[in-house]
Amino acid sequence: MIWLSSRSRIAVMVLPALVLFTAFFAYPVLYGTGYSLTDAQGFSEPRLIGLDNYATLGDDPFFWLSLKNTVIILVVSVAFLVPASFALALLMQQRIRAAGALRALLFGPAIVAPILVGLVWVFILDPRVGLLNRLLVPLGIPEIQWIGGDSLTPYSIALVFSWASIGFAMTIFYAGLQQLPGDVMEASSLDGATRWQQLLHVTVPMMRETVGIVSILLVTNVFKIFELVYMLTGGGPVHRSETLVSYMYFVTFTSQRYGSGMAIAVVVLVLGALTSLAYLVLARRGRSA
Amino acid sequence: MPGYQPRRHGRRGLAAAAALAVALPLAACSEAGDTGQDGTTTITLSMQNADVKTADPATWAIVEAFESANPDIDVEVSGQPVSEHLQSLSIAAQSDTLPDIFWVYKSNAEEMLAGDRLLDLRPILQEQGVIEHLPATTVEHFTSGDTVFGVPYQGLLTGLWTNTKVLEDHGLAMPSTFDELLQVAEELDDDGVVTISNGASQSAFSVWQFLVWLDRFGFEDRMDGLLDGSESWDNPDFVRMYEHIAELRDAGAFSSNVATQTYQQAVDQFLQGDAAFLDAGVWAAGAIQDSDVAPHAAFWKGPTFADGVGEQNIIMNVASAPLAVAKKVGEDDAKLAAVERFLGFYYSDEAQQLMVDNGQPPVTTYEPTLEESEQSVLSAALDAASEDGVAAPATQPDLVFPVAVANAIYDSIYGVIQDQLTPTEAAALVQRALEAE
Repeated sequence: MIWLSSRSRIAVMVLPALVLFTAFFAYPVLYGTGYSLTDAQGFSEPRLIGLDNYATLGDDPFFWLSLKNTVIILVVSVAFLVPASFALALLMQQRIRAAGALRALLFGPAIVAPILVGLVWVFILDPRVGLLNRLLVPLGIPEIQWIGGDSLTPYSIALVFSWASIGFAMTIFYAGLQQLPGDVMEASSLDGATRWQQLLHVTVPMMRETVGIVSILLVTNVFKIFELVYMLTGGGPVHRSETLVSYMYFVTFTSQRYGSGMAIAVVVLVLGALTSLAYLVLARRGRSA
Repeated sequence: MPGYQPRRHGRRGLAAAAALAVALPLAACSEAGDTGQDGTTTITLSMQNADVKTADPATWAIVEAFESANPDIDVEVSGQPVSEHLQSLSIAAQSDTLPDIFWVYKSNAEEMLAGDRLLDLRPILQEQGVIEHLPATTVEHFTSGDTVFGVPYQGLLTGLWTNTKVLEDHGLAMPSTFDELLQVAEELDDDGVVTISNGASQSAFSVWQFLVWLDRFGFEDRMDGLLDGSESWDNPDFVRMYEHIAELRDAGAFSSNVATQTYQQAVDQFLQGDAAFLDAGVWAAGAIQDSDVAPHAAFWKGPTFADGVGEQNIIMNVASAPLAVAKKVGEDDAKLAAVERFLGFYYSDEAQQLMVDNGQPPVTTYEPTLEESEQSVLSAALDAASEDGVAAPATQPDLVFPVAVANAIYDSIYGVIQDQLTPTEAAALVQRALEAE
């Protein structure tokens, strides 16, 4: 401990991480931010145009649409995933048969590449050839545009994202539940707390940190959704189902407007950071209250 | 200390592996193309398909034939999907490490030319006698000032592939005008059959037929004005064109999953006999030839419009995006000579016949020989292109604009097809993209 307490030695220990952080995070962020202030189109010398790209984004209806879709997916996913994965973790803690196999099964989608998740769900949600409509239409329910329409697509993406993420979130909750001190639970039982009271007044407050971690991970993952949209709808129809990242890809690489694309990337970064920060602040206030 | 030996071996092994790991990518990055010790000159050809051999057999066959005829030249072919390919080119253009010959969009080639990255091909084409075999409009299309910055990679012959059996089975005659097509769509929709197979997912560009419609509503006359800003896209003629797409949509002409279906799935829909028409081009001839649709396949240039503008008897038979040559090729005599010989061969009758043998129309004035029994489908397309009185526009509308505008054109068309945009909104969308440029 004495060896580590020297400032210069701490600096040496931190240096490798700092170098990696600078090379793979800080530098790309600064580079991208720089590009967002230019009219870079890839093949000619970029010119500095100030904040024009950001002003143009304000007038771009597809940008606002992609932001709206991202927010819908964020709200639906977090509102459903956090309680659902917590409930599953509680269930997994019970003595049930084949709990290990069930945990592995639930975790399964998390290890499947998102592009494959998208591919699988296309064959379920596609309005014409998808399994869901094939089951519903014979029952007299008209063909529903689960994906590819202009209203349900973001909710369908949220559903698929939730399906793919629930096992991962459940595993973190499960690990958190395993860390809870047994004596506290035992004491609450001796005090006559019912299981519901135990859950509400002991388990949930002690799991606050884990809830925070899961929520921040989900928020950042939602801001990174790309492959699901790419496979499910390709962002269509006419960008109606784009998320911020898929639209950034379209603007940057398909339309070759590198400057505008980087402006969207900066917006994504700022929004992701602000949302996570806001959550952390709220969680801290909750703790100190 | 017997325990030390294995560890030292382990370290040496690790060091050797690390050195190899560093050396291999560097070796791969080292520039190809200089004349090797055996006198072989290597030139690089970079294409817009991940697997050139499979996805672009015509180019592959030409390269193989060229290498057989020129054993002292090695053509190193590489390919990536379009967006990755363009991304790589943009990085290479900035670092002056462009491949020797490469496929690129015309608008990007013009930007590269402005950045002094491209070789003027006029002297090569003249020396190889290529220029007189290319249609004058094609050379003009790839000329800026006096500089020829590109040569046509392949011909772009597009239209509606037709499964005549589907029409016959439903007691319908082959349409000729838009009103007749509309009637066909209504009747096929009543029978639950798709009229025109299209797929927008990951292939928003697959609207070739509707790009011809633009020409039938006066695009060519407005082209220069649209480029210099004196004309607008949201003009009454183009809005009327979008209205006709909307009429077709309302008649149930398109598949209900057009938004989630990819182009390849649209092709499959047609090949399985589930659609009467397929919006595509000659590149689909091979797949159709190998399918059960082949005996009933016809190629239709698309409907004429009573309210169209100008010439209606038009077929889209133009040069596609160009092949360009990096300027630095001119600094290496051996490489320049190899590129000259390659381009000379590419536009020779032998290579053009190879193109036809692999399902592509010739890009020169060469008249190919077709094996009627094995190439009946391609033959149908070529016959349609050479019908008496049929004219071809100078270029396909999307090819003259920057990529962002081309994308807006595709979005506007699919926007109407998918009932996401009104005809007026669709036209305004493209106009906005034009103004942003």
